[in-house]
Amino acid sequence: MDTVVTLKVYSPLMDQNRYNQDDIIFALATPWGSSAIAVVRVSGKGSIAKTAQIFSRPDALLKGESHTLVHGSLMDPTTNQAIDEVVVALFKGGRGYTGEESLEISCHGSMAAVETIFDLFKDLGMRAASPGEFTFRAFMHGKIDLTQAEAVMEVVSAQSQKGHSLALRRLEGELFNRIEEYKGELLKLMSILALQLDYGEDEIEEPIEFPIDRIETIKDSIEELLATYNIGRLYSEGAKIVLAGATNVGKSTLFNLFLKEERSIVSSIHGTTRDFIESRINLEGIPIRLFDTAGLRETGDTIEEEGIKRTHRLLEEGDLILLIFDGTEHDEESLSLYEKLVEDPRCIVVWNKSDIAPNQKYSNGFTISAKRGVGFRELSQEMLFRLRKGATALDDQQLVIESSRQHGELMRTRDALERVIELAQGGLPLDIIASELNEALNGLGSITGEVTSSDILESVFSNFCVGK
Amino acid sequence: MDYDAIIVGAGHAGIEASLALARLGYSSILITQNLDAIGRLSCNPAIGGMAKGNIVREIDALGGEMAHLIDNSMIQYRILNRRRGPAVQAPRAQSDKFTYHQKAKWTIERQKGLALFQDTVVDLILSADKKSVVGVVTDRGHKIGAKVVVLTTGTFMDGKIFIGEWEEVAGRLGEPAAIGLGGALREKGFKVGRLKTGTPARVRRSSLNFDLLTEQPGDEVMLPFSFDTKSVERPSLNCYVTYTNESTHKVIGDNIKRSPLYGGKIVGLGPRYCPSIEDKIVRFPSRERHQIFIEPEGVGTEEMYLNGVSSSLPEEVQTAFIHTIVGLEGAEIMRPGYAVEYDYLDPLQLYPSLESKLYSNLFVAGQTNGTSGYEEAASQGLLAGINAAQKMAGEPPLILDRTEAYIGVLIDDLVTKGTEEPYRMFTSRAEYRLNLRHDSADQRLTPKGYKVGLKSQEDMERLRHKMGQIEVVKELLSQGKGEGKRAIELLRQPEYSIEELFEFVPEIATYDEAILYQVELDVKYEGYVKRQERQIERFQKMERISIPQDFNWDEILGLSTESRQKFKKVRPLSVGQASRISGVRSSDLAILMVALSRKERS
Repeated sequence: MDTVVTLKVYSPLMDQNRYNQDDIIFALATPWGSSAIAVVRVSGKGSIAKTAQIFSRPDALLKGESHTLVHGSLMDPTTNQAIDEVVVALFKGGRGYTGEESLEISCHGSMAAVETIFDLFKDLGMRAASPGEFTFRAFMHGKIDLTQAEAVMEVVSAQSQKGHSLALRRLEGELFNRIEEYKGELLKLMSILALQLDYGEDEIEEPIEFPIDRIETIKDSIEELLATYNIGRLYSEGAKIVLAGATNVGKSTLFNLFLKEERSIVSSIHGTTRDFIESRINLEGIPIRLFDTAGLRETGDTIEEEGIKRTHRLLEEGDLILLIFDGTEHDEESLSLYEKLVEDPRCIVVWNKSDIAPNQKYSNGFTISAKRGVGFRELSQEMLFRLRKGATALDDQQLVIESSRQHGELMRTRDALERVIELAQGGLPLDIIASELNEALNGLGSITGEVTSSDILESVFSNFCVGK
Repeated sequence: MDYDAIIVGAGHAGIEASLALARLGYSSILITQNLDAIGRLSCNPAIGGMAKGNIVREIDALGGEMAHLIDNSMIQYRILNRRRGPAVQAPRAQSDKFTYHQKAKWTIERQKGLALFQDTVVDLILSADKKSVVGVVTDRGHKIGAKVVVLTTGTFMDGKIFIGEWEEVAGRLGEPAAIGLGGALREKGFKVGRLKTGTPARVRRSSLNFDLLTEQPGDEVMLPFSFDTKSVERPSLNCYVTYTNESTHKVIGDNIKRSPLYGGKIVGLGPRYCPSIEDKIVRFPSRERHQIFIEPEGVGTEEMYLNGVSSSLPEEVQTAFIHTIVGLEGAEIMRPGYAVEYDYLDPLQLYPSLESKLYSNLFVAGQTNGTSGYEEAASQGLLAGINAAQKMAGEPPLILDRTEAYIGVLIDDLVTKGTEEPYRMFTSRAEYRLNLRHDSADQRLTPKGYKVGLKSQEDMERLRHKMGQIEVVKELLSQGKGEGKRAIELLRQPEYSIEELFEFVPEIATYDEAILYQVELDVKYEGYVKRQERQIERFQKMERISIPQDFNWDEILGLSTESRQKFKKVRPLSVGQASRISGVRSSDLAILMVALSRKERS
């Protein structure tokens, strides 16, 4: 007899005694920084009564209906002074996001005011929430499933409008439904196999032909979903684009063209942009971090050397590199100086200054005039095409995969289905095929949280930021 | 205390439970209604088959008796599904039912420390605090005390049999039911349900037209089920195959109202997987024919079993439909088919050790737990016997998990999910079946049988010897060459069998067929087994997070009401088991894990 071993569940969310569900938690739900309005979330049993103690119209909170807004002020109980004028959204009877009674307080977005409010909350015995704790509570109360929990994380961190709407669709459980659909199909196939597994060869009269084509259909659908992973990430995490090239080829002019405003100093003296300048732009919905770098050239200037080092680091990290040349020099030999970069698949070669060097033809790359904006449209299209890796533009109707956990499980499923097809074509026994089919089912089950293991929970909730 | 242990019922579960307890040194008494019915094959005269054959070998590897009984009574042997892959290959044997019964009875009678007594148990005796069972009361008024009681009542507890409009209180045709015990258990708070099963008619051999039947011979070589048996030398008899036809279906269809099942007399649910012929015709109206296997009931008897046409229609209807079947036109019916309805106890009221949650020291096994089949019954009997002994010894129970044995799958399903129809074991119920091959049962379980005391030092030695031989053969195959490749590489290819490698590596030809068989499957499916092992690791991680038996489920905040009720009913002993309770939400499992890890820290 093996004695029963008690194994500790190793999980960050369980290890630190922070997921106590009995108390009231609060956190800033909007980013930490000055803004017009900041939203503070409070959740837990008794949270409304607690908040009412420091509210100018306590009865309005205590007697107000769920899903209504209450206007009033948060008061400092010692001085009886109003700290901030706020609007409170009430969620009663377990109908809040967390499945508990909760409040969302819209206050003025001064961080000093927010900190004062937090101090008051702490005095009332509330606790600052840990990362992911609001969503963890929502999950614990069965308000959301795992795919939804991940979508919350993405809504929160989605940087662009498009990324946001994709994540919202996931929140509605669309991915869940899609995965359930595949799972249902596979289960049907599994039951056909089970019939063959469960009876002897003499008991079943007609051996069933294994339906390879149906497996292939499901595999193709999963492939499509997998292909959306990169594009999904592109819209939620964005991309880094680095402008590189020798000094004085017009990098900053192009940079400014992207920004459509004068932000970096543009002059004709070599090496003006000594370090790099970063700016955020939005390329058809994709959040882009655009870097204008120090010129790539040999130099004895130590400040500039440092700049070049940083440029090289950026070149390593960039999703896309625009390598810019001065088109007036019509010198294709300069390409050989940057041979390694030119051959890099992330690199787009750009010949600038077509306005003063007209009719120059180059075997490779784009001809533009950053000064006049000529050729800019074509260049942007190419950049988009490269970033999307050939995938078509994303519309709001399309379901995408954004979490690496889901991506991993889908890959596991796809690989198992590939083996199923291979084994079935090779005429291998059904019990072997069935075990691979089972692996595929487990992969899908892990995505929806049906197959729950401690590592899944761990990986989902350890990625949250506070307040969500 | 009169005895250490009382075993109620001498069917396949009772035999294993009583032998295990006595062999482990506990003075035991086996009480049965009829000493002439010990180990009776009430239905099909066969042991083994898909998944069930694996169970028989698992019983053997743990130190049970069933494999010995079939090895000494078989009259046909076959390995099913030789071509369908390693996990679905299973041995099946026809048995001479007289020999089987006789060997079972003789084995029990010769067992030291095991008394055999004919009477009917009608009630349990409870301790003063009503928390545990301390004995039984019999029909003739005996009060027998014991430290543990194992209940294996089969189809006899308030059994009732049906043939058309005719019915009788009985456990088998002509054998009285055990009346009173079911009611007594209901009064003591057990959740008792009704199940139904059935058996087909037996026909006279000399009345069959063999010219019209297809012969189904056994394999040339009879292989033993038991790892203790070196070889089997027994007569091999044929089975025969025929089919129902449109006329058969018409006779049954016309008389379906006279079936007690469809007439509403039987309330218990029957086995979906082993349906009566009436069921098959109602549920699969498009099927033009159904297969029938005609199996000998033994040597020295004319009785033949009609496997596939179990029925509870009136006798004249049974005769009429049997006479429409090719080869059976003139069949003389010696015993009619019938249905039997009986009490079973909800297995959710048991711990994975098969001990009752209601009263300690009471163990329940076999059909009483809602299963169907001799093998399923025997395996539970063995585990109930072992765990009753472990309890008396103050040792933790032997609980097999789903990755270790079909028996583990069986018991886990019963105590975690319960059953509302007779539960039959199927290959597809075992997720990790590549690891549960019948030929590796000794590797998986003999060390456990040794640890509880049913397997000897010599058994372990033999296992080590076998493992050594397997290694030697694999080594020979790695060194041997054929067709420009290493022999072991050739064996990995589907088109090569191990026999075809004899010409390249002649040394291996001298090894036992069992060794070669295992090497062949090991080598051919190594990659898949490895992948399965990774799945097993994931499974066992959840299995090892244990939950105390006295865990207070009301203490955990945040559990949904539905899940809390389910947890309280099943009282799972691990998070893995909890996760298999149907309808439990993953969020509730997460809450449970958090609560357990917090409890452990405090």
